[in-house]
Amino acid sequence: MKFKHPISRRTLLRGAGALMALPLLERMLPAAVRAAEAAPSARRLAVFYAPNGIHMQKFLPTVTGPNWELTPTLQSLAPVKQDVLVISGLANEPGRPDGDGHHAAGTAAFLSCTKAYKTEGTNFHAGISMDQVLANHLSQQRATRFASLELGNDAGRGIGNCDSGYACPYANNISWAGPTSPMAKETKPRAVFDRLFSGPPGGLSQAEAARRRAYGQSLIDSVRDDATRLQHQLGAADRRKLDEYFTSVRDLEKQVEALGDAGPACGLQTAPTDDEDPRARTKAMMDLIVLAFQCDLSRVATFMLANARANKVYNFLGLSGGHHAYSHHQFVQSNYDALAIIDRWEVEQYAYLVRRLKDTREGTGAPLLDNALVLFSSEVADGNAHHHKNLPVLLSGRCGGAVAPGRHLSVPGMPIANLYVSMLRALGVPGVNSFGTDSTGELPGLGG
Amino acid sequence: MTSRSKTPDIGRRLATAGCVLLLSACKGDAPPQARVRTDVPEPEPTSTSCWNTSGDPGTVVLHRLNRAEYDATVRDLLGDTSHPARDFPTDDHGYGFDNIADVLSLSPLLMEKYAAAAEKLVEAAWVRPGAALRTCAVDAANPEPCAREILGRFARRAWRRPVTTEEVDRLLRPLAVVKQLGDPPEVGVKLALRAVLISPHFLFRVEKDAQPASTTPHRLDPHELATRLSYFLWSSMPDEALFQAAERDKLGTPQEVEAQVRRMLADPKAQALVSNFAGQWLFTRALDTAEPDHTLYGAFNEPLRHAMRQETELVFQEFITGDHKLRDLLDASFTYLNDPLAAHYGLPRPGSGDAFQRVDLTAYPERRGVLGHGSLLTVTSNPDRTSPVQRGVWVLEQLLCSGPPPPPPNVENLPPAVSPDMTMKERMALHRTQPQCKGCHMLMDPLGLAMENYDPIGRWRLREVSGAPVDSNGDLPDGTVLAGVEAMRRFVKDDPKLPTCLAEHLMTYALGRGLSEEEQCAVSEVAAAAEASGGRLSDYLVSIALSDSFTSRRGGKEAQTP
Repeated sequence: MKFKHPISRRTLLRGAGALMALPLLERMLPAAVRAAEAAPSARRLAVFYAPNGIHMQKFLPTVTGPNWELTPTLQSLAPVKQDVLVISGLANEPGRPDGDGHHAAGTAAFLSCTKAYKTEGTNFHAGISMDQVLANHLSQQRATRFASLELGNDAGRGIGNCDSGYACPYANNISWAGPTSPMAKETKPRAVFDRLFSGPPGGLSQAEAARRRAYGQSLIDSVRDDATRLQHQLGAADRRKLDEYFTSVRDLEKQVEALGDAGPACGLQTAPTDDEDPRARTKAMMDLIVLAFQCDLSRVATFMLANARANKVYNFLGLSGGHHAYSHHQFVQSNYDALAIIDRWEVEQYAYLVRRLKDTREGTGAPLLDNALVLFSSEVADGNAHHHKNLPVLLSGRCGGAVAPGRHLSVPGMPIANLYVSMLRALGVPGVNSFGTDSTGELPGLGG
Repeated sequence: MTSRSKTPDIGRRLATAGCVLLLSACKGDAPPQARVRTDVPEPEPTSTSCWNTSGDPGTVVLHRLNRAEYDATVRDLLGDTSHPARDFPTDDHGYGFDNIADVLSLSPLLMEKYAAAAEKLVEAAWVRPGAALRTCAVDAANPEPCAREILGRFARRAWRRPVTTEEVDRLLRPLAVVKQLGDPPEVGVKLALRAVLISPHFLFRVEKDAQPASTTPHRLDPHELATRLSYFLWSSMPDEALFQAAERDKLGTPQEVEAQVRRMLADPKAQALVSNFAGQWLFTRALDTAEPDHTLYGAFNEPLRHAMRQETELVFQEFITGDHKLRDLLDASFTYLNDPLAAHYGLPRPGSGDAFQRVDLTAYPERRGVLGHGSLLTVTSNPDRTSPVQRGVWVLEQLLCSGPPPPPPNVENLPPAVSPDMTMKERMALHRTQPQCKGCHMLMDPLGLAMENYDPIGRWRLREVSGAPVDSNGDLPDGTVLAGVEAMRRFVKDDPKLPTCLAEHLMTYALGRGLSEEEQCAVSEVAAAAEASGGRLSDYLVSIALSDSFTSRRGGKEAQTP
């Protein structure tokens, strides 16, 4: 159902009765009210990807259950310890590459649990990621202006191979709308902000919104017509490429349709600057995720701290070598030490996001975190051996009670795809019984 | 389709005895892997006939403009130099370049950026003097004739081909919508201009097959060929001269195509080859993210980063227009320096301050060629030390197209020095004692070790940080010693694989797709023709522009989904 024009409350209340279906109501409520009232039932997902694995010895608590200890790497989680579920033992076997390419293959499978086809470009092929399964569901509901946000710090080096014969889309994207459709990420906080808060600060007048919708729709009709005519003249491979175009135009159309309603309901915000310093940039990105959730502009966000196999130099942590180089530690203590320092910093950034979601309230006064899930992991466990099992996994939030955090849950050998099945169900996606290529069901014990 | 099956007998691809020995040393569990594999014996690259000529031009899928191409195109189309693509998400790359059609996806985010950019571009161009968009005044009472003229002219240029009357008719439709809402007709024209800019005909380089399912090759239509030429050499749309050549069917003969290529290379827009082709082939782009350790290599600063890039760009620029053989890039006896970069290299300052001067290197053989450029030397180093392996792999992959496989797990890094004054060479020798590493390193190390006199930021040095004297002898498995960078340069320059490898990188970039095994023959022919006509970069570019791979295309069956 499409509603291109706002309906006045009086019109509806006067005649409605049985017609008062929920979508109608949502559509007519002013933005501020809508956000506040939509929030209590709204589930949200944020994913934090850290590259090159984790030095597990300093990460993993030895105690399972509620009395898990804050390991050196997890220290920063102290203020939110009761909101964090440590899950050990999960495996992502589809992340194992053909030959080498563990980082790219592991990253392509990170949220898709699908094995990437080995190629430097031609016929690249992975699978839909779990965040996009949720985004599709929310998009059908027209829940928010942006179905999902894809964010990252790393625009890439732009040269050479990305990883041992695996194409760069595998290494640079964790979010995939489909097997051949990586969701490109924004790497500039300012651009993210401008996108979230585009349009005049006071919102559009009804007449102006109607005008913009009409013109936007005319644009869309025009280019869709071009594409449809073109489609008939193309071969199969070109038509597939054009499918991406149609999908993107459809998404654009949804945004045009939503013009004028559901503006940000959280007042004026200050735009971040594009700081090259990874500390400032990461913080800005975390703040933007919180802002998008708070204003109900989107309920799904993924974030890549850096691309797969990134050899970032963490000068500000007193380190002179690259992250990927350290991750091939060769059992040398100085490399372990460097990794532990980097890991600790990574978890601090995740902890900041979790803390902010806990401190930010929904309309009801409940922390955003209570209805959210916030995942932390890496594409491999140990970066030297490239293990795809016993992955480092943190899951924060309660998702309205579906998850009971504050524990260390050990599930040796369990596919991480099972976790995603359970997460998607908890997040309200109906009918999810399997995910990726190796799920065997739900992950037991998530709810305590 | 282009799966890289493992072919252990890669040594067959190299002709000299030294090379065969060099490559055959790397075998066992981990045979070296060329970027392009062939299961057929490769003919001599200089031979003029290729026994396996199939004439198959291969297939390239619908090609989205990448960020550099988008910016250059709107510059030439609208006179807009605001670089709107700067805020687009980064284009993924494949086969070493970011103009590979297969991996240039179109995400909803990007579409949103296109729509926003189109609005800004049109609004700005509408009022910009000299933008030549408003060639007539839109009459409020009878807007159609002028709207038709504006949109017809614009769509022809934006879509890089003639447009039909029906297409212009359809573009006029927003005028009615605008009229209904009581806005002036100009608003409708601007809306239609935006539609042109987010149409698939603008965002993609569209090439058609009369029979999309037929694999029989056919020549591109003149406008498609003009577009391939302009994106190859300019990363942008065709200019009016190229347009007219296409319209008058003047791109049919090799002479006509060659004349266009040479004309286009003389145009400043050919600078795109420097930033887009060379920037990726020579790794210059990675300078942006290079982070030398500031305690050990504090001499590296932003002006130096900029100067290093500038040096490589200016040298490559001279290869586009100059008379040098392309292979002389390895040991060119000139470079471009400003005072700070010259001082950094330990060469006499040209005395031009921050401005760049062409400098003769006859008296400084150690600095000759791209292997002496700070840009390349820095981006192939680790932050805190040189990496003979990265340097060696760069030479193998980018100059000889014979990259080794990646190392096995657990051994990817160099072990720490056993004693503090071990040389890099000694540490690497220790590394090579691990049997699983030995094979490939016997191949990579000598090439990189011969460059050990350059420190991680490209300074000439006789001692390592530890104080140990540099040992820059690269010992080849056959006993040949590459004594320093000059000997290594000669060795690589004499390798018959060099011309085909240069052709291969250029063709990958020109076609915007990876090359399959079956195309090695076409690559060899391009290289042979280029060498026969002088071996300059321009000869390579002409040779590619004349090849069947470039001038033809074919349809294809539904590609197999893996």
